[in-house]
Amino acid sequence: MTATDVKEATVPAPTRALATDDRVADRPPRDLQRTFQLVLATVWLLDAVLQLQPFMFTRGSNGFSGMLNGFASGNPGWIDRSIGWNASVVYHQPILTNASFAGIQFLIAFGIIYRRTVKPALALSVVWALGVWWFGEGLGGIFQGGATPFGGGPGGVLFYALLAVLLWPGGNSDRPFVAARTVGVRAAKVIWVVVWGVLAVLSLVGSGRSPQALQGLVAGLNSGQPGWLARIDRGSEALLLHHGTMLAILLAVVCVAVALGVFAPPQVAQATLVMAIVVFALIWVAVQNFGGILAGSATDPNSGLPVFLLALVYWPLTDGGARSGARASGPSTAAAGV
Amino acid sequence: MPTPSWLYYLFGVLMLAIAAYCLTLLVLGFVTNRPAGRDVEISHMFMGVAMAGMFVDRWAFGRSAVWEIIFGALLVWFVVQSIQSIRFYGIHLPHALIHAVMNFAMLLMYWFPMGASGSRSMSMSASTGPKLDPGVSFLLAFVLLTSAVFTLASPNKGWSHFGGHAPAWAVASTAGAESGHGAGGQSPALSLEGVVATPWLVDLSHVVMCIGMGFMLLLMT
Repeated sequence: MTATDVKEATVPAPTRALATDDRVADRPPRDLQRTFQLVLATVWLLDAVLQLQPFMFTRGSNGFSGMLNGFASGNPGWIDRSIGWNASVVYHQPILTNASFAGIQFLIAFGIIYRRTVKPALALSVVWALGVWWFGEGLGGIFQGGATPFGGGPGGVLFYALLAVLLWPGGNSDRPFVAARTVGVRAAKVIWVVVWGVLAVLSLVGSGRSPQALQGLVAGLNSGQPGWLARIDRGSEALLLHHGTMLAILLAVVCVAVALGVFAPPQVAQATLVMAIVVFALIWVAVQNFGGILAGSATDPNSGLPVFLLALVYWPLTDGGARSGARASGPSTAAAGV
Repeated sequence: MPTPSWLYYLFGVLMLAIAAYCLTLLVLGFVTNRPAGRDVEISHMFMGVAMAGMFVDRWAFGRSAVWEIIFGALLVWFVVQSIQSIRFYGIHLPHALIHAVMNFAMLLMYWFPMGASGSRSMSMSASTGPKLDPGVSFLLAFVLLTSAVFTLASPNKGWSHFGGHAPAWAVASTAGAESGHGAGGQSPALSLEGVVATPWLVDLSHVVMCIGMGFMLLLMT
């Protein structure tokens, strides 16, 4: 007799347990679109909690307003001034503004969780993400010529907005991949090609292919990192300094291949998606340093997690069960029900 | 510029509220002879008190070694529960596993008190001992936040607390159906339990605990 048997045997009849088990077999089939929405909600919740870190409530160059000001320089005058204005508001009311910013992100996360509020929450997340992209990321450094995907360009938060659109509830569940459910197959493929085309271009323009600039990306992040990550950083700094241009070209080629993969047969498309996830996982760890989270200086995990999620919503669903919302042969969502 | 001590007090109060809530559940569980969920209630009660002491140093009490023994014992209990569940029902995510993770996180917080980068208003900030690898903190925090989200979204209300052993009134409450064992047809204690231990409320206590602990772990990075 197992402990579970003992446990069930001791349950008195009036308050008898479900008398079944923890098995997942009896649960309804999983809706992948809903699961991906919840993963997006998790990322928003992580951002909200990161927003509560003590330094975010402080003034000065090491505080939140100082961080915002840092994104202003190098942009055209009117953009520079708008970012400076926002940083000034945060400087004068750091506690009120930061608490509000955290509150909005909690609102988005919890809004996505509840089915009744998922649409307003996703709409709010688009607006908020675009606002953060402008005022909090300086438009991803596009006008500074430094929006390389190695550093998270054109802005990790833009992926949040894109995911909100692609995961908008509803649509036809027999589409070949989740992203096509709401916007349709053709529009989803166009979006995919545009996104990866932009990433390919940004890999090559401006300082994106400059070895010194790429090395500087890593050097600017490695203070305060744990030892094992600092060692990885030293390796990636050396690699980027000596082969930065070649790696930038290679990244552009990968992005083009991933862009075209959406038109390929499912197996080839899956291979290109795996390639995208692996390449961006390497970049997320070795160049972006998880967005600086491990150094205690981050407000979000940069582009790593959203790019992984974006790849998963384009994962070809090869069997009918998966398309109709049953357990898919593709991405595992085992975290559900934790 | 002062650190946001009100934030830590807020989290501290929330943690104490969860501890008090789980103590109430535990007492009601004994009165109504409900064994399901007692281990989670004990675990969350201790976690709530310990976490409150971490957020507000004046509220901390007891020697670290005692807390380590408590959370170590709870960790072993939930690991054994998880293993037995898997052995009995096959490969799946047993609900005890997340509680094992939470107790493991508590142990780590006592083994590796927060470094000087933390806030002065937190009890563990004074330590100058070895620091927990931020990668481990981040991973645990992400697991806990994921658990919070998927618990709130789960159609199986109360699962985070009772697992597959939810009392009949909880099942009836989840289904929105009338139950013969519901709050209206039983003893006062059972009626009270039906109100206090509604599935969404027990899930909420788990979610708040996950977020509070996730926040603390991210502060440790």
